[in-house]
Amino acid sequence: MPSVKLKAINKSFGQRQVLQHIDMEVGDGEFVVVVGPSGCGKSTLLRIVAGLESPTSGELWFDDRLVTQVPAHARNIGMVFQNYALYPHMTVFDNLAFGMAARKTAPSAIKHRIDEVAQLLEIEPLLHIRPGALSGGQRQRVAVGRALVRSPFAFLMDEPLSNLDALLRERMRVELRRLHDRMRIPTLYVTHDQTEAMTMADRMVVMRNGRILQLGRPEELYHRPSTVFVAQFLGSPPMNLVSVKVLPDKGVAVAGKDPQVIPIPARIREQIGGRNVVWLGFRPERVVPQTDGAVEGLDFTATVHTVETLGARYHVHGTWGESPITWVTTEREGLTGSVKMKLTVPWDQVHWFDAATEERMVSPERESIPVQVGGTL
Amino acid sequence: MNRRVPLSEDARVNSATGGGLLLWLSWWNAYALRETLVGYGLILPSLLVFLVFYYGPAIFLMYIAFFHWNIFASQSTFVGLHNFSVLIHQPVFWQSLLNTGYYVVLVVPVTTLLALALALLLRETRNLRGGGLSQALVFLPHVTPVVATSIIWVWIFDPTFGLANAVLHFLQLPQLGWLSSVHWALPSVMIYTVWHSVGLYTVLFLAGLATLPKQVLEAAQMDGVRGWRSFRRIILPLISPITFFVIVLATINTMQTFSQIYTLTGGPHGGAGGPAFSTTTDSLLIYQTAFLYLHFSLSSAMSLVLFALILTLTLVQKLIADRMVFYR
Repeated sequence: MPSVKLKAINKSFGQRQVLQHIDMEVGDGEFVVVVGPSGCGKSTLLRIVAGLESPTSGELWFDDRLVTQVPAHARNIGMVFQNYALYPHMTVFDNLAFGMAARKTAPSAIKHRIDEVAQLLEIEPLLHIRPGALSGGQRQRVAVGRALVRSPFAFLMDEPLSNLDALLRERMRVELRRLHDRMRIPTLYVTHDQTEAMTMADRMVVMRNGRILQLGRPEELYHRPSTVFVAQFLGSPPMNLVSVKVLPDKGVAVAGKDPQVIPIPARIREQIGGRNVVWLGFRPERVVPQTDGAVEGLDFTATVHTVETLGARYHVHGTWGESPITWVTTEREGLTGSVKMKLTVPWDQVHWFDAATEERMVSPERESIPVQVGGTL
Repeated sequence: MNRRVPLSEDARVNSATGGGLLLWLSWWNAYALRETLVGYGLILPSLLVFLVFYYGPAIFLMYIAFFHWNIFASQSTFVGLHNFSVLIHQPVFWQSLLNTGYYVVLVVPVTTLLALALALLLRETRNLRGGGLSQALVFLPHVTPVVATSIIWVWIFDPTFGLANAVLHFLQLPQLGWLSSVHWALPSVMIYTVWHSVGLYTVLFLAGLATLPKQVLEAAQMDGVRGWRSFRRIILPLISPITFFVIVLATINTMQTFSQIYTLTGGPHGGAGGPAFSTTTDSLLIYQTAFLYLHFSLSSAMSLVLFALILTLTLVQKLIADRMVFYR
């Protein structure tokens, strides 16, 4: 059962600690995406697994083999670099053959394996061309091919799609994921693009400032973000966050000249405890118009400011009290500037965060996650 | 009518007619003329210096190579290829060609390889303490004046008191006559030239190595290609444009070497090029023919030969480079 395990990995460059106590695992056939803003340490993490950097402390295991001190080339890793890093002076064939030749593989075996991989990736017509003459998408495929020819123990990908244009990126996303479903090689994939992470991952890891903030299935992270940062990092447009005052009479009030007091269920009130101010969060797509008591939820009145048309839906930017909020609707009718709208968010779609620690406080009534699609855990 | 647009198809068609011509002229006046004048105005000072001191003498040289020209006489006579035929009957001319060839064939490869090796070493040590200082020290000889350091090297090469023989003595090797030996005089000059010029080529190689894409080297590392193999298969092909440039530059520079030969082997007291013409290279002979024996026409003919040689060699190098150099 091939798996990659990171145990208590720390990494410092001089005084600067870039990774702090990283514990995670990429299981057999799993596609794990590490996502976070630039400088969060995700690339360093990948380079440690590759063997291009060594950790300051901690252990790296491939199955039951401790590889922390094993040099990069002996780890049998296939890596796809951000700018592909193809050998510019060699043909595609030689690019694929280079590593195998260095390992003294017989020329006939090299040829056989390259033909196999080239067929899989549909790059056979490109084998005798140099990378300079290839398009971005073709280079991407060749880079994947070079990682694949050696039948690697695990795949590492460092922002492999970030040099492609939007349309091609979407296509390659699907292709890479499909390739993974066929090969089932444990894959660790690094990106700063949350859409890429959400769409491709079996499990995802959100990092910030060298720490893992949350680790789990994309739906889990999306619907149960453990911190304000994860809540806002995932999803587009991001989750709305509103600072509210907790009132002794079992309600909350949003800041503003004419504070709207909203009664909240006793279950949530209990978990808020003695806090005076908390963050209240809800996803833009979970906002619905009020339908007189049909849905039990957070009822509020918002003022419309601008409407963005996206074709199938509209992003409405407005304010609730003094807090800017965004919601998504498919109905354009009645949406004009300064209109006040009565909106609601079902209680199980409202997230509560501690104002000081920014951590999630209220566990949901239902433990199951609303939408479940694919993925293995 | 001030149309500040480049000369378009329309303007060109219109210029056939009278109105078009006026339009074209007004466009020219308003824009192109001003641009042109400002441009030439900016390069004028250096252009003048170049014309008077560089292109002027060069063209004049090509002219007097075919004349019998005397600096003291007012008239010159056309003699065709006579100067060249005199040259090929002079044993010292052939000797100088041979010396130049010997000098170039040894100095260029040695300097290039040494510079590459130094650059690779300096690249490894650049992040260590003193790495920057080492780079500066390697480059330092190149910024010293040739004549001044040549005089120091005259002392280093002194058979009796010199450092060179002291080192040989220390290593228990036979001592040499260095600059006073027919066999060792030119190699002594070569040693000086390598010492003086290797810093420049090292810096060029360092610049080339700095442009190597880091991720490509890491990809090679993950492919299990390290050490010599990685150098030969990855680094060398990727820096081949720099290598080509260094070789061409070193060839041209060594073919034109003059100052150190003049200073090391004779200096102002005469006798440069000795002993027994063993260090007489082309450029030294050109100088001596012109300013010692005052045969300016003959010396010009020699310069043309040297020019033709350098040109041919560079073109040959270019032909080779087209097959071997990889441009990213």
